[in-house]
Amino acid sequence: MGRDACVGAVCLAGSGVLYCTLGLIEDERAAIFPRVLIVAMAVLSALLLVQGLLLKRKAAAPGRAYPWGRFFFLFGLIVAYFALMESLGFYVSAFLFFLAVAFILGRAELTGRKAGFRVLGSAIFVAVLYVLFNLILVVQTPRGLLF
Amino acid sequence: MAELIQYFPQALTPMNLLVLVLGVIGGLFLGATPGLSPTMAVALLVPFTFYMAPDAGLILLGAVYTATVAGGAISAILINIPGAPANIATLLDGYPMAQQGHSQRALYICFISSLVGGLFGMLVMVLFTPPLARIALKFGPSEMFWIAIFGITVMAGLASGSIFKGLIGGMFGLLVSTIGYSPILGVPRFVFLDVLTGGVAIVPALIGLFAVPQIFSLMEGMGQRVVSQVEYKPRRGILLKTIIENLKMVKALSIGSVVGSIIGVIPGAGGQVAGLISYDQVRKFSKNPNSFGRGNPQGVAAAESANNAMVGPSLIPLLTLSVPGSPTAAVLLGGLLIHGLFPGPDLFRSHADVTYTFIGSLVLAQVAMCVFGIMMSRYSYTVMRVPNLQMIAAVTILAVYGTYSVQNSFDDVIVMFALGTLMYLGRKVGFSGAPVVLGIILGPIAEDNYLKGKMIAETDVGLFSYFFTGSINIIIILLCAASVAYSIFGEIKAQRKFKEAGG
Repeated sequence: MGRDACVGAVCLAGSGVLYCTLGLIEDERAAIFPRVLIVAMAVLSALLLVQGLLLKRKAAAPGRAYPWGRFFFLFGLIVAYFALMESLGFYVSAFLFFLAVAFILGRAELTGRKAGFRVLGSAIFVAVLYVLFNLILVVQTPRGLLF
Repeated sequence: MAELIQYFPQALTPMNLLVLVLGVIGGLFLGATPGLSPTMAVALLVPFTFYMAPDAGLILLGAVYTATVAGGAISAILINIPGAPANIATLLDGYPMAQQGHSQRALYICFISSLVGGLFGMLVMVLFTPPLARIALKFGPSEMFWIAIFGITVMAGLASGSIFKGLIGGMFGLLVSTIGYSPILGVPRFVFLDVLTGGVAIVPALIGLFAVPQIFSLMEGMGQRVVSQVEYKPRRGILLKTIIENLKMVKALSIGSVVGSIIGVIPGAGGQVAGLISYDQVRKFSKNPNSFGRGNPQGVAAAESANNAMVGPSLIPLLTLSVPGSPTAAVLLGGLLIHGLFPGPDLFRSHADVTYTFIGSLVLAQVAMCVFGIMMSRYSYTVMRVPNLQMIAAVTILAVYGTYSVQNSFDDVIVMFALGTLMYLGRKVGFSGAPVVLGIILGPIAEDNYLKGKMIAETDVGLFSYFFTGSINIIIILLCAASVAYSIFGEIKAQRKFKEAGG
């Protein structure tokens, strides 16, 4: 089974699951429009499945292996940034996130000089954000222990 | 035209001019930065406009939209990577010019031609938008419902390689728009988690669907080096010479401006098509077609005048019918809606001051784009040297701020990131963010008009007659069908080519 056929099958299954959840909507009238959409999605998914089974698609050119490790690492870093934001506040967590990305994801090309520039760059970026958001636009950002 | 003249001075207030200049400079830099798409740039800016007056907010978005299209040519010319799809045709002759040591001249031609095409496109927009808006006055619930569906079919065909995936994305977007409390009956729908109680607002969706996939794409591109970079050697005194040379390219500028304007009005065709068609036409009409692709300045002039001429006309279907002509225009639609401005005739009556100030500012943005583009040409390398690492961190932080700031809600940040990660994975199997975003934006319009139409139909002529008869309904349904058929035809053609190539 080709990629499009798999995608069609997954979407069809997803439409089925969503259709089942329509029963949770208390008032039937509020479910009319979502029902129309889910049925349309199911029909389109079935068409994609059939198209995927009938047609041969161009195979993706062989390239570098996908960096799954880096993906999960960055994903985790962003989740940690969100978690820290509520306790440390927007600016401190942004500074730490900037540093973490620069030092951990970019550790391969790290030298003493580059490390200094990265710390300075992170501090300048966050300082610019502080001036822009707090002093010029005067908007609320998530507050924490320090800011 | 009278209204435009009446409200034009509002675009010239010091505050609006400052916003316009900042938007143009920012747009040029963002457009020139490979890896940051113009759509994402505009999406990240939408929350900033939330704290501005509607006219200033729209001026900022319009200026960035205009400048990113021209800014994308900088990287096309200097490093052979188009900043946006609209600049693909620019690199065909722009990069060879730069390789021959004429990068400064190529950039000047690019900005001057963009100005000529952009002003022509704005003229087309000013002349055609109000009459089309008057036609939209005749639209009732059934027509409005079909217009929303038409918008999604257009975007589905434009943004995805497969029409079915595009339409599934559009339906998914419409479905996402129904999360939260039903606006008519007040009952919860699809609220499986607490963070979904308030539904999915436009700004988190825009930022999530355009910025988060970009963050992960930047991560993928880490460690890849640009190998085709050329030197930029600024020379004194060539500006006037280049302006005269450029304005003598009457044929290239005329073809580019006219083709760009026509393509711009067609929803879904986009700047990429405009640039390539006008480039091809200018080459066919040239006495020396073999010089194209080898550094002919006429090629740069044709492509750039066309992709900027497209900007104004691409807003005609958006401002009159809510049908955006490009993914960036879909984001602009989000910007209009968060300021309570709904496309259609009302925009030109009840909000004439804001609308005509916005249109006037777009004219000014074209001029500012040319002036600042020329001034900033020599610094463009600085932007292109920003490492992916810093861009990943900066875009993530701005995405979080932009999402949080609109409703001071951390739930929105979670929704933004979840939706964005899902979209990134979706992109890996051929889905695109644009139809999903449009579905989320047009969802409330589609549902409201569908339910209103259903109520009218049940007390009157019946559901089928109400939605499927009437000249305007039939025209829009035929347009939807044509849009889908056109995409299917394109896919069949691509499949045939693949088979012929021995696939």
